[in-house]
Amino acid sequence: MSVIEEIRTRLDGAFAPMLLEVEDESEQHRGHSGWKEGGETHFHVRIQGPAFQGLSRIERHRAIHEALGRELLTRIHALRLTVGP
Amino acid sequence: MSAQDKIEQTVKGNDVVLFMKGTKEIPQCGFSSRVAGVLNFMGVDYSDVNVLSDETIRQGIKDYSDWPTIPQLYVKGEFVGGCDIITEMMLSGELDQLFEQQGVSFNKDAADQIRAHNS
Repeated sequence: MSVIEEIRTRLDGAFAPMLLEVEDESEQHRGHSGWKEGGETHFHVRIQGPAFQGLSRIERHRAIHEALGRELLTRIHALRLTVGP
Repeated sequence: MSAQDKIEQTVKGNDVVLFMKGTKEIPQCGFSSRVAGVLNFMGVDYSDVNVLSDETIRQGIKDYSDWPTIPQLYVKGEFVGGCDIITEMMLSGELDQLFEQQGVSFNKDAADQIRAHNS
């Protein structure tokens, strides 16, 4: 499974979101530190769902970090999150 | 002194601290650059810690806050967030409120100017 599919699967399973978009932005960071040929280093996740209602910004991000897991997070270089209820 | 002790001392000993890649003058990463740029433009007096110059701090700060990414902003000893959260708080005005509540001085006109350019 590609990293992008892995991210999507884990977030879908954890939050059953109304909106989930995962974008590989690696190409925009070509040549920067952390970037690798073939991409899958820099991601942007847009996610919305009732699971995030009542959580602070930090709590929302922490919930996502937890759903993705430490091992997956160490494999990617950058993760941009846009989270809403 | 352990990395955790050093971090604790830095976080508690400075009103505003940014752990970042590079320095506030020469950031080495787009995300660090954005947060430093906001604080610089707002005229906030803050300390910068370059995690690239010390591998134990680079990993240590992630353990300290249980947060996997850098930059990380701390105000009066409390973790506020990384690049996405600071950007959102900047644009919504929550960052101004936080600084006002915590007695951190900043240039309100500059903050309004950033919002005007991003609305």
